[in-house]
Amino acid sequence: MSSDDEIHMDDSDSDQEEIDDACLSDDDGIALESHEQTSKDYRDNAEPENEVLSHDQLEMEMKKTIADVQAVLQVKTGTCRILLHKYKWNKESLLERFYEHPDTTAFLIDAQVIPRHTETLPVGESECDICCMVSGLSGLSCNHRACTPCWISYLTNKIVEGGQSEIECMAANCKLLIEDEKVMHYITDPTVIASYRRLIVASYVETNRLLKWCPGVDCGKAVRVAHCEPRLVVCSCGSRFCFSCGNDWHEPVNCRLLKLWMKKCSDDSETSNWINANTKECPKCMITIEKDGGCNHMTCKNTACRFEFCWMCLGPWEPHGSSWYNCNRFDDSVAKTARDAQEVSRANLQRYLFYYNRYMGHQQSLRLEGKLYASVKTKMEQMQTQSMSWIEVQFLRKAVDILSECRRTLMFTYAFAFYLKRDNNSIIFETNQKDLEMETEQLSGFLERDMDQENLVTLKQKVQDKYRYVEHRRKILLDHCAEGAEQDLWVFNE
Amino acid sequence: MSGIAAGRLAEERKHWRKDHPFGFIAKPVKNADGTLNLFNWECAIPGRKDTIWEGGLYRIRMLFKDDFPSTPPKCKFEPPLFHPNVYPSGTVCLSLLDENKDWKPSISIKQLLIGIQDLLNNPNIEDPAQAEAYQIYCQNRVEYEKRVKKEALKYGAEAVQKQMLG
Repeated sequence: MSSDDEIHMDDSDSDQEEIDDACLSDDDGIALESHEQTSKDYRDNAEPENEVLSHDQLEMEMKKTIADVQAVLQVKTGTCRILLHKYKWNKESLLERFYEHPDTTAFLIDAQVIPRHTETLPVGESECDICCMVSGLSGLSCNHRACTPCWISYLTNKIVEGGQSEIECMAANCKLLIEDEKVMHYITDPTVIASYRRLIVASYVETNRLLKWCPGVDCGKAVRVAHCEPRLVVCSCGSRFCFSCGNDWHEPVNCRLLKLWMKKCSDDSETSNWINANTKECPKCMITIEKDGGCNHMTCKNTACRFEFCWMCLGPWEPHGSSWYNCNRFDDSVAKTARDAQEVSRANLQRYLFYYNRYMGHQQSLRLEGKLYASVKTKMEQMQTQSMSWIEVQFLRKAVDILSECRRTLMFTYAFAFYLKRDNNSIIFETNQKDLEMETEQLSGFLERDMDQENLVTLKQKVQDKYRYVEHRRKILLDHCAEGAEQDLWVFNE
Repeated sequence: MSGIAAGRLAEERKHWRKDHPFGFIAKPVKNADGTLNLFNWECAIPGRKDTIWEGGLYRIRMLFKDDFPSTPPKCKFEPPLFHPNVYPSGTVCLSLLDENKDWKPSISIKQLLIGIQDLLNNPNIEDPAQAEAYQIYCQNRVEYEKRVKKEALKYGAEAVQKQMLG
């Protein structure tokens, strides 16, 4: 794939620049400015670059790609779009297949852009197959015809209800896709046209490996990267997310484990908590039992089991007999085995809950510390009235930014740790995690409690030292995790 | 395509009466006043020759909505049929009958019935709709065939025909 990309760069670099220049000169200056702004932001945060594209920019870019391919293939714009869609907007791959294919017609039939069979048109007036009324019929290159109102309502239905941008011919066994020009020819309602154009851009983004919609609420922009890989991308709306899975940026845990973890959390946590607090397993069949009365003489309700046992010691009930109230069978081997088995199953649950509670704890702190921005803002204004300049007080905002980042990282370290198998590397990881967690709590403490007491210069010194240190620790932890992933050192239990 | 449903259904009926595949039945039900309810059809699909379904005639109801033919009719075996792609309620699960899959407004009642007949002997394992038939089909093909043949006997063509056509 990388070699493909290089070829792409070489081929199109020069003309791309020309077109870009042309666009910028006759376009309004706003897009240009905002673009500069965003790329500057990335430099400040020392983050990898990604491009943020608005709906109009996406549409423009899509049209340019279509025009490039169209110049070579000599087909209609709409047909060209469908072909590119088939090849996930990888024009090299499309052109390669096009030239490699021995039979151009067969290639276009397979791509559903020209009909496999063409109907012979009946002579004279005929009726519409859909509404069975006689009226002016028109249709596609396959000669499947219908009256205009039926076409309009079919297309409108597919666009509005079905959300489709590639629509097949209305005839039962015809796979021909209707080209955009034809759709636009029939549809006259401007809102439907707008929906259709949106759907086309959406399909452009969704099939393109290098583009992803920003998951931010009401954002509607897409980001583009140079290589498709799990990495942090930043949208101009402020959303920071993983390019690969679209979730919050989740380093150090990878996309696959994060998905497992989130599923487990949404399925299990409440239930597990309750099970842990209220139930035990039957010592014989291991079915989970809730004790619903005071008596410790339990009979397993599992019809295949029916085991009678003591809730307290988990041994069989028989030896308890009449002397239950003196039951002190701690050394009883049967009961002890049962308790050991119980402990194993409980230990797994406990382990999960341990990681879950810490994961949720950091998530909650992250949410609550969002409020710090407000209090820090007040503090910053107050400091500016006392001899400090605007630039000198910016460290506070930076401290909150770093605190949030640390919280987010810590949160995901617990998902990572849950799946991590214990070995030497995991011990190093846990030490890093412990250190980061401790320091993060201290930074949080400074920002929440110590703001009023300190004299400003010491406060600034302390906060700056601390945030530099935690940021450093965070980097070390993440680097260690990334290094381990690169060298395949991590062993996960799933 | 609102407003055209009744016209199209009347036309469907005309076409059916002119010509329909052998052994199939399709007719709109009668209202209390003797008029036809074009939105509710009683149909029957014969098991195809040389398959385990042969000999049976399976009753199926087609319910059309006002926006037909934008949306496909609901097709429901009455009584529910033992088949991996038939829901316990009798409703047929078939891509042809899914608005967002293979349904197209130009598909006729005849094509639908033939499509369902085809499904009988070619169940789609990707899309099971009832547990019983699906499991037996996957685990024990001999037992499955036995069950189907029993269905074919139970819904013998002659008896069902007599029931429906009086």
